[in-house]
Amino acid sequence: MKNELSIVIGYLYGDLMNIYGDTGNIIALKKRAEWRGIEVSVKNISIKDSLKPRQVDLYFFGGGQDQSQNLVAKDLKSKGNVIKQEVDRGVPLLSICGGYQLLAQYYKPHEGPKLKGIGLFQAYTEAGSNRMIGNIVVESMFGKLVGFENHSGKTYLKPEAKPLGKVIKGFGNNGEDHTEGCIYKNAIGCYMHGSLLPKNPYLADWLIKKALETKYGKEVELEPLDNTLELQAQQKTIQRFG
Amino acid sequence: MISTTLAVLLGKAIGASTKKLNLGGGSAAPGLYALKLDPNLILNLTKSIQTNIVITGTNGKTTTARMLAHIAQKSGIKTIRNHTGSNLERGIASTLISGFGKKYELGIWELDEAAFNTVAPKLNPKIIVFLNAFRDQLDRYGEVDAVVENWCQTLKTLKRDTLVVVNGDDANTAKLKACFGGKVVMFGLEKNKLKGEKTSQKINGKVDIKAKNLKQNKFDTLCFNLDIKKQSVLAKLNFSGTYNVYNALAAIISASYLNISPQISVKYLQDVTPAFGRFEKLTINSKVCFIFLIKNPTGATEVFKTVSSQLKEKDSLLIALNDNLADGTDVSWIWDANFEIFRNSSRVQSREYTIYASGSRAQDLAVRIKYAGFKPEAITVENELNKALQQAAREKKGRLFIFPTYTAMLRLQKILAKSGIKKHYWEED
Repeated sequence: MKNELSIVIGYLYGDLMNIYGDTGNIIALKKRAEWRGIEVSVKNISIKDSLKPRQVDLYFFGGGQDQSQNLVAKDLKSKGNVIKQEVDRGVPLLSICGGYQLLAQYYKPHEGPKLKGIGLFQAYTEAGSNRMIGNIVVESMFGKLVGFENHSGKTYLKPEAKPLGKVIKGFGNNGEDHTEGCIYKNAIGCYMHGSLLPKNPYLADWLIKKALETKYGKEVELEPLDNTLELQAQQKTIQRFG
Repeated sequence: MISTTLAVLLGKAIGASTKKLNLGGGSAAPGLYALKLDPNLILNLTKSIQTNIVITGTNGKTTTARMLAHIAQKSGIKTIRNHTGSNLERGIASTLISGFGKKYELGIWELDEAAFNTVAPKLNPKIIVFLNAFRDQLDRYGEVDAVVENWCQTLKTLKRDTLVVVNGDDANTAKLKACFGGKVVMFGLEKNKLKGEKTSQKINGKVDIKAKNLKQNKFDTLCFNLDIKKQSVLAKLNFSGTYNVYNALAAIISASYLNISPQISVKYLQDVTPAFGRFEKLTINSKVCFIFLIKNPTGATEVFKTVSSQLKEKDSLLIALNDNLADGTDVSWIWDANFEIFRNSSRVQSREYTIYASGSRAQDLAVRIKYAGFKPEAITVENELNKALQQAAREKKGRLFIFPTYTAMLRLQKILAKSGIKKHYWEED
């Protein structure tokens, strides 16, 4: 399968939504694909850029500052339908913090009108009064996931929505119901910075696999990689905080 | 004033006992407890100081304060400053307590970005320097926009006759000009400007004082020209990295408003050496070592840039990442720092190099280094700094470059002091 496969990673608003080391996720995806001989290009999709179906094989959407988030929310209206169609087609997506909130139904601030999301995830977020900060450990279909959360928004899942996992340590979606994140088809939203993917290589590989399978319309087995350092970092975090 | 005196006495007693019990340098605890007794301690004790200068920003506070203090002291001005880098309210209070009873003409105060808003007004500053605003310890400070917005609100409450000196090359600090009704001086570089945070805003307003003809001579010196107050001067520094040009500019400009001529300032600046852990050179078992503090993505990237251009084949690196409160408990920032720069240096071709990853987050660091393009075999993971340092110093050839985060740096200083290699940091200027 070498030298034949390629993927395009669409970095949604990478110039504005790149806080808390979220770019590390792009680095991890890129490296892990390249180490297997898969060609990777990263396309920044920002304000006023057009977005068409089949342009991108894997989406990433990180967190941002409040000011950026408002600008992005406005622009996202024009891209929402394409993103939803693509996810329905099976295109994988990872969104974190602000990105996750904007892909859900809405964000309700303390004051002022609701900030409308695109409704990919059947969830909504309300401004909370305390910031939820710290290391987080989650049990998920990918095994244990570790990260670092830093958010004041409380996200609540609708009954039909499926959480990414169960919180073992930390706050997760809202600090109340022990859920963290949301998964719909191959799209994931969550609050885990860290960066998330470098320390959780199985999740990174799942995203790459889904991207290839959707693009080429066949089952793909990824070549195994040596994950010693990655899993050591994950284990150490679980030991200390889990 | 009675409570102030009592608070000072309490602080002094605590300071003496922490040093005696070898608990530390007494740079925070005395102030912490004294402030509980007298919350107005700072206001009361700084009244007698003629001029107070406040320096804040993400990177370069200690270095700028050190430069300015040296210029002032050499010019015969009696100066007090929080020299250990303890830059929260308690650190300022501790310094004032230890200097109680002496007369000072000038107070130079480096202030933490968040502490600035509560402490700066109490210091009644004549000059305020804003060096830059980068993402740093987001778990503690919050987002950059919020930090700058708080500064802006604080500036609006300050007296109009305060002089505000801002880095005009950083869009975040440049926008502070609009927040203040009094005099604002902007400084910057003519070329090779710093790369600030990506912001949605453009820089408004022009830079008043610019450094020109910047030359990085050797590894550890640089020089530049500047025109200030109708004089043209040449500054030579025992520092490397463009970021130190900004620090020097801020010091020279501040000094000029203390009526120290730029010519005098640049003369004295030649003798200033970097503060502890901010580019320090020493020898361990006849091995030449350099220490560079890293705290946040921009600072680390600047330091990596400076070092990688000078690396030789046999040199090794020791990076120590801690996640204590003073380092930031969130270590995500290492993914925003450009470790890839090291791959551009000649040592990548070498088979002998080793990178030591240490500190409480050594494992996270090792992953970062791997994803920057280094082979896992080249990375040695050792959480305990003492052991990592021993191993690294054992390598016979090449120099050792050490990059600790803040508390790792304090730990390193302790290790070095214990082994008799250097003095305790609180005994340095």
